[in-house]
Amino acid sequence: MDTPTLISIFFALCGAGILLSLAAPPSRQGNVLAWLGCLASVALVLAGANALLAGKTFSQPLWTLPGLAATLTVKLDSLSAVFIFITGLVLFPASIFAGSAPASGAAGRALAVGRDADGQSNVSESLARSVRREGAPNSSRGGCAPQNRAFTVFMFGLYASIAMVFLAGDVVLFLLAWEAMSILCWLLIVCAREKEIGHAGSGYLLLATGEAGTLAAAMGFLLLAVAAGSLDFGAIKSAASGLSAGLQWAVFLLSFFGFGVKAGLVPMNFWLPRAYVAAPRAFVPVLAGATLNLGLYGILRVNADLMPAAHAGPGLLALVVGTLSALVGMLYATTDNDLKIMLAHSSIENVGIVAAGFGAGMVFVATNHPALAAIAFVAALYHLINHSLYKTLLFFGVGEIEAQTGTRDMDRLGGLSKWTPLTALAFLAGTLSIAALPPFNGFVSEWLTLQTMLRSAELSSTGAKMVFALCGAGLALTAALAVTCFVKVYAMSFLGMRRLDENQKVSEAKSGALAPMAILAALCLAFGVLPTYIIPALDTATNPLAGASAADNLVPPFFASNTAHNSLPPAFVEDFHNLGAQVGQNVLPGRGLVVLHRGGAKNPVVFAMSTSYMIVVLVFLLLLTYVVIRLWLTRSRKLERRLRWDGGVRNLLPEMTYTATGFSNPVRVIFDAVFRPTTVEDTRETVAEHFRTAIIREKERVHLVDKLVFHPIRTAVMWFASCLARMHHGRFNAYAAYALATLLVVLVVFLLFQTS
Amino acid sequence: MSQWVINGIRAGIKTTAYPAKPETAAGVTPGLPVGGDYPANNVNSLISLCPTRVFSDSDGQIIVDRRRCIHCYRCVRGVERPVNWEQSYEWGTVRDGQHEFGQPFERSIHICVVDAGDCGACLNEVKQLNNPYYNMHRLGFFITPTPRHADVLLVVGPVTDHMKFALKKVYDAMPAPKRVVAVGACALTGGVFAESFVCAKGVRDVLPVDVEVPGNPAPPLAILHGLLVATGRKAPAMKDADPTNLHE
Amino acid sequence: MNRPELKEQIAQRWPGQVQCRSESASLCELACARAALPELCARLFLEWNFSFAGLIVEEGASEWQLRYAFYGEGDAGWVHVLVTAPLAEKTFPSIVKFVHAADWHEREAEDLFGIHFEGHPRLGDFILHDDAWQENVEPMRRHFDAREAMRHRKPDEDWRPHRIVQEPGAFVMPVGPKFSGVTESVHFLLETVGEDVIRSTPRLFYKWRAIEKMAEDKTADEVLLLAERFAATTAFAHGLAFCQAVETICGANLPLRAKILRVFLAELERLRQHAGAIQEICESTALAVANAHAGICEEELLRISCELTGHRYLFGLLALGGLLCDLPDDACAKALEKSQKVLTQLNRLEKQLRVSSSFLDRLEEVGIVPERTAMVYGLLGPIARASGVVRDLRRAQPYSGYENLQFDVPGEQEGDGYARLRILFAEARQSVRIMEQAAAALQSGSVREPLQLRAGAALGWVEAPRGGAFHWVRLDEKGKVARYRIVPPSFANWHGFHLSVEKFAFQDFPIMLSTFNLSVAENDR
Repeated sequence: MDTPTLISIFFALCGAGILLSLAAPPSRQGNVLAWLGCLASVALVLAGANALLAGKTFSQPLWTLPGLAATLTVKLDSLSAVFIFITGLVLFPASIFAGSAPASGAAGRALAVGRDADGQSNVSESLARSVRREGAPNSSRGGCAPQNRAFTVFMFGLYASIAMVFLAGDVVLFLLAWEAMSILCWLLIVCAREKEIGHAGSGYLLLATGEAGTLAAAMGFLLLAVAAGSLDFGAIKSAASGLSAGLQWAVFLLSFFGFGVKAGLVPMNFWLPRAYVAAPRAFVPVLAGATLNLGLYGILRVNADLMPAAHAGPGLLALVVGTLSALVGMLYATTDNDLKIMLAHSSIENVGIVAAGFGAGMVFVATNHPALAAIAFVAALYHLINHSLYKTLLFFGVGEIEAQTGTRDMDRLGGLSKWTPLTALAFLAGTLSIAALPPFNGFVSEWLTLQTMLRSAELSSTGAKMVFALCGAGLALTAALAVTCFVKVYAMSFLGMRRLDENQKVSEAKSGALAPMAILAALCLAFGVLPTYIIPALDTATNPLAGASAADNLVPPFFASNTAHNSLPPAFVEDFHNLGAQVGQNVLPGRGLVVLHRGGAKNPVVFAMSTSYMIVVLVFLLLLTYVVIRLWLTRSRKLERRLRWDGGVRNLLPEMTYTATGFSNPVRVIFDAVFRPTTVEDTRETVAEHFRTAIIREKERVHLVDKLVFHPIRTAVMWFASCLARMHHGRFNAYAAYALATLLVVLVVFLLFQTS
Repeated sequence: MSQWVINGIRAGIKTTAYPAKPETAAGVTPGLPVGGDYPANNVNSLISLCPTRVFSDSDGQIIVDRRRCIHCYRCVRGVERPVNWEQSYEWGTVRDGQHEFGQPFERSIHICVVDAGDCGACLNEVKQLNNPYYNMHRLGFFITPTPRHADVLLVVGPVTDHMKFALKKVYDAMPAPKRVVAVGACALTGGVFAESFVCAKGVRDVLPVDVEVPGNPAPPLAILHGLLVATGRKAPAMKDADPTNLHE
Repeated sequence: MNRPELKEQIAQRWPGQVQCRSESASLCELACARAALPELCARLFLEWNFSFAGLIVEEGASEWQLRYAFYGEGDAGWVHVLVTAPLAEKTFPSIVKFVHAADWHEREAEDLFGIHFEGHPRLGDFILHDDAWQENVEPMRRHFDAREAMRHRKPDEDWRPHRIVQEPGAFVMPVGPKFSGVTESVHFLLETVGEDVIRSTPRLFYKWRAIEKMAEDKTADEVLLLAERFAATTAFAHGLAFCQAVETICGANLPLRAKILRVFLAELERLRQHAGAIQEICESTALAVANAHAGICEEELLRISCELTGHRYLFGLLALGGLLCDLPDDACAKALEKSQKVLTQLNRLEKQLRVSSSFLDRLEEVGIVPERTAMVYGLLGPIARASGVVRDLRRAQPYSGYENLQFDVPGEQEGDGYARLRILFAEARQSVRIMEQAAAALQSGSVREPLQLRAGAALGWVEAPRGGAFHWVRLDEKGKVARYRIVPPSFANWHGFHLSVEKFAFQDFPIMLSTFNLSVAENDR
C-alpha cells in the first residue's frame, strides 16, 4: 500500500469514529471505537514507516483557495514521516487505554459505577453536586453520557488534526490544522465536567497561551510568506535564504516563541502542569506524547527546514533556552509530589533537552559542520521519540494509580507494587527509561545529546564553545537530578510501606490498561536495545536538514567487510573488528550493533557504546550472579527471609518511613536559593509555653516562571481589564460619547493617512 | 593539627599484652571469690552473708557460682574470716561445653552490642575495649551498629520487659551462624534485678547463650576473654560449679 | 529568702490553707490545701528562687500523700509541700503550668499510681509504654503483686506516635532502641521533613527495672545494693544519697573519717565520670586522638579506683553508717597523686581542644539551652551550670562535710555544647582540689558507726556527677523500706534534652547527645 492511501485510510477511520460516536452512546461501542482508533494509528504508523524507510514521500495539492493565492497542499516528507510515525506509535496504545478507561479519573469511575448499578435515574451524590456546581440545571443523565460522547468525538478530531499539522505543505493548512488542534485540546480539558471548577480555568489558560503562540507563529509564517510571495512551504524554503539577517532573527524569535509555547519551553511553560492536572486521564497521555511534539515539529520545520539560520545566534539561543527548560523542569519535577505535576515538569525537561539538541544542530548548520549537525538532529529526534514513548507509558501508569487509589500525592502512596505487580513492572520500565538508565531508550538519546555537546570543541568561536560547555554541564546536572527524581517516584509510590487508608481497595489494572503499558514498555526497551537500526532511519529525516548523513559516523558498517565503506579509515574499522564489533555479522541484518561517537581532528577520541551488547552482558551477569550465589556460594546454606532491621521498634509504622517530601528535601534545601519559598511557622501551645500541641510550618513555593512571567502577565491583563471595566458603568450618555470619540479618532487617522 | 599527631606519639603504647601475655597492671579486675576448703564453721556464715547466693556447700567444701557474684564484698569486708579472693580475669565460660567454636569465627568478627537493661557499668566496660589500653580492633573484633553484619551478639543487662522484644528482633535479624555472649552478672542470672517483675533472669530466659562472662561489671579483660572464647581462640575458664544444677 | 520571711509570706497569702506541719533546721514541711497547691509551688519555684527536687507520691493506709520537694540556697533550706487526700480521691491539681520541671514527675505518678493530674496536657504512654502494656495497670500501688513476672504482651497495633509537626510530608524517623555502636537503649522519635529534625521526642524506660517497687519490703542493707547498682557509672553518689537518707532517719552521727573518705571517693567518681563524658564528646566529634587521650584518662581513673577500693566502679564500699572497710592513708595519697597526674593530662587535652577549630566548630552553638529554659525545666548539674543556672547541692545544701571544703562552682552562660565541655573540665579540676583537701584532712579513727534502724522517712541528696540526686526513703517499724523514690539527675535532664535538639541537622544528633552527658540507666531506674 502506498503512503497516500494509508493516510486516506487514517482520515477515513477518524471520520468514521466521529460519526459512530455521534450516532450511538459510546458506552455500548467502547470496543468498536477503540478498534477504530487502533486501526487509524496503525495506518499512521505504516504511513510514517513507509515514507521513512521506503522513501515513499508524496506531495499532493488539494484545493486552491479562491481569493487567496494559496493552494492547500498535503505533503509528507521524511521529517513529517518521523513525527507521523511516532504519533501513530503513541496513539495506538492510547486508543486501547481510552477504550478501557472512562473519560476521566477516579471521579469518572465512581460515575460509571453509579450509572451501571442504578440505571440512569439515580446517580451518586457527588455527580449531582458537581453538576450543580457547573451550573448545569439539566438532569443527571444529561451530565455524563453526552460528555463521554463529546470526548470520543473530540479525540478522533484531535487525531486527525495532529496528523494534518504534520502533513500540511503550506502555511494556511498548517495554521488551520494547528488551530483545530488547539481548540480540540481545550475542549477535551473542559469536557471533564465532574472535576473542580478550577480546571476549566486551566483549559482557558491552555487555550489563551496556545493562541498567543499561534499568533506569533502565524506572524513568523507571514513574514516568510511575504518574503517568498507564496504560502507554499516549498516556495518559502527556496526564498528564505535571501532574507535579511534582521528578518531572519524576527522569524526565528516569533516561531521559536510561538511553537515553544506549545512545546512548553521556559518561560512559557506555566500552562503545562495546570493543563495536565485538569485533563482527563485518557487524554493526558496524548497531550504529553503527541501534542508536545507539534511545538517541536514547528520549531524544526521553520528554523531548520524552511529557513536554516545563516549564523549561530538563533541556535545558541535555542540551546540555552532548551537547557534552562531542562534544568528548571527537572528541579521542579524532583521537588513536586503530585505525580501528574511531576510528570508535567519532567515533560518540560525532556522538551528542553530536545530543543537543546535542535539548537546545537542549528549552530552546527550555521557554522558549516554538517556532519555534527546531523548527529545533533538525530540525537534530538531520537530523544523526542523516546520521550513520547515513556511519557505516555508513565501517564498510563499514573492514570491507573489515580483511578485505583484516588490520589496522586506520593506522600500518601507507597507499597503499591504488592497489589499491582504488573503495573509496577511496566511503570518501572518507564522510570528506568526516563531516568536514562541502560539498556532503556532514554540512555541512548541522552548519551548522544551529551556527546554532541562535547563535540562543540570543533567550533571556532570561543563564546559558542563556552555556551556549549555550560549547557552540557546543565544537561548533565539535569540527567543526575532525573535519576534522583525517578528513584523517588518509583520508590515512594510502589515500594516501602503502604500509607493509604486501609479501606481503599487497590487491585491490578485491567488488561485494557495493562496492554498499552506493556506495548510501550516493550517499545522503550526495543528503542533502547536497537539504536543501530533506528539511527539510520532517523538519519534519512535529518539528512536534508543538515545536508549530511550521520549514519556512517554513528553506526559504522561493522557488519560489512572492512573495505566496504570508504568513509572510515580501514585501520579504524579493523581495530573495532578486533574488539568484536562484527559479532553477529552473519546472523543479523544492518550495519552493526555499536554506536560510535568520534571526536574530530582536534580531539581524536572515540566513544563507543552498544546497548545491544550491554543487554546480553547484563542478562549474562544476572544469570551468573544467580548461579554463583544460589548454586555455588549458598549451596550448603539454608536461605532465610527475615524482616528488615528497624532498630528494634515494636511496630514499624508507615508514618515512620521516608515520605516523598523528605526524600527530595535535600534537593529542595540546596536549591532554595532558586525556589525562594516564603515560610510561615506557627507554634500552638496548651496550658503553658512548653507544652506544644502543634508546630505548623508551611512553605509556599511559587514557581519561578510563575513569579517572573505568569504573575506579571496576569496582573497586567487584570489591570487592563479593570481599566476597561471602568468604562462600563451603564450610563447611556457615556456610551454615546465613546461612540462619538471613536468616530472622531477614526476620522482623524483616516485624514492623516489620506494627506500623507 | 600536627600537634595531635605529636601528642599521640608522645603518649606511647598503652595497649595491654593480653592475650599473648597476662596483664599484670593493678586495677584491671575486681576479682572473684574462690571456693574450696574452708573451716567448717565458716561455710555457713559465708553462705548466709551473700545476698545473691554465690556460695553453696558441698560436703564441707564451698562451691562458688561465679556467675552470681555482684561484688558487694560482704564476704570479705568487715567480716572476721573473709573468703579467699583471686585477682583473675579469664572468666569466660562455655555453656555445657557443647559448642564447636571455630571455622566461621576464626578471623575478624563483628559484634553487635545490645543493652538490655544494663546499669551502665558493663556497657562502659565494653566501651573501654575501644580505648588504647585494650584496643580490641587489633584482635579483629569490631563493633557494628546493625545486627545484619554481626557475627556475635553481646548482651548486657538482665533483659527488661521492654527490651525483650527488641533483643529477640536483633537476634532474629542476625545471619547464621551466630553466637551470643552474655556479659555481666545481670545478663547471666539477673543479678540484683532478678526479682523485678519487669526483668527476665538473664539472657538465657530469652535467647540461647553460648558464652558467659561473669562480673558486675565484667572488666574489659574478662569481656575480651569471653570474645576470644567465642571465637575459639582461648580456652574457656574452668567452672567451679555447674551452674545448671545450682539454685534452679 | 530565709525561713521567717517565707513563713510570713505564706501566712499572708494563704491564711488557713497552708500550714507549717513540722520544722527543723533544714526542713520545713508545709501542709497545703489542694486548691492552693499550684500557686504555692509557682511562688516557690518562680519567685522565691527554690529549685524543684521532685514529687514523691506515697500511698498510706488510707490516704495519698503527695510531697513536692523544693530546696533553696543555704538558709532557705528545704521546703516540702504536702498534699493529702483519701485513697478514693485520685485527682490532684497539676502544677506544670507554673513548674514545668514537674512535668515528668506527674506523668510518672499517673502511670505508676493511676493518679490523675488535672490540667496536665499530656499524660500516659510514659514509663509503661502504651504499645506494650494493657490499660489500668498501676504497678506502684500497694495491692499490685510484683512477685510474678508480667507475662509477655503482644504489641498494640493501634499505637501511633505522638506527633505535633504539621507540615506537608512530615514524618517520624524512629531511632533505636538499638542504634549506633555501644549505646544505651533508648528510642527517639525525630519529627522531620527530611534533612532537618524539627522536634525530637525521646521515648525512655526501655530499661525500666522497677527498682522502687523491688525495694519495698526489703531491708535497708539490701536496698543499698540496688541503690549502688541501678546506675553504676555513678554508683557511689547514688549509694551515698541512699545511705544519707537512712542515716538521717536514724539520726546517725558519722565518724569524721568516714565522711572525709566518702567525699574523697565521691570526687574520685566525679573525676572519672567527667573524663568518660569528655571521651564521649571527643568520640562523637570523631576526633580520634583526643578520643584516645580521654579514653586513657578514664581507664587510668578506673584503675586508680580499683587499686584503691578493689572495684573499678566503687561497689561494695558504702555501708549504712559509714564505710564497709577502711582505706589506708597511703593508698589514698597514692590515688590522689595518680589522679593529679591524670588531671594534668586532662588539662593538656583541654588546652589542645581549645585550639582545634574543627572540633570547636562542631560544638559551638550546637544544642543551645538558654538560661531561662534551663531554669523552668529544672535542669541539673553541669548542663544547668553551662546555661547559667549555677546551683550545686554541695554548696546550696552541703552534706557529708562539704561545708568545710574550699571549692568553686564553675558556671558558663552560653549553654551550648562547648560550654558544657568547659564545665566538665573545670569541675574535674575542682574535684581534684577537693580530693587534695580531703586527703590532707584524713585523721585516724573508725569508719563506721553502728546504726539503729527505726521508722521514719527522710530525703537524702547528693550532687552526683550528672547533677543533684534525691533519694526519698521511708522505713517501717521493722526497719524495712516501705517507700523508696529515686529522683536521679538524668530524669530532669532527659526532660530538657529535646530543647537542645530542635531544628538541627541530623548529623549533629550524636554530639548533642554526648554533650548532654545523659544516662538512660539512671533515668529508667
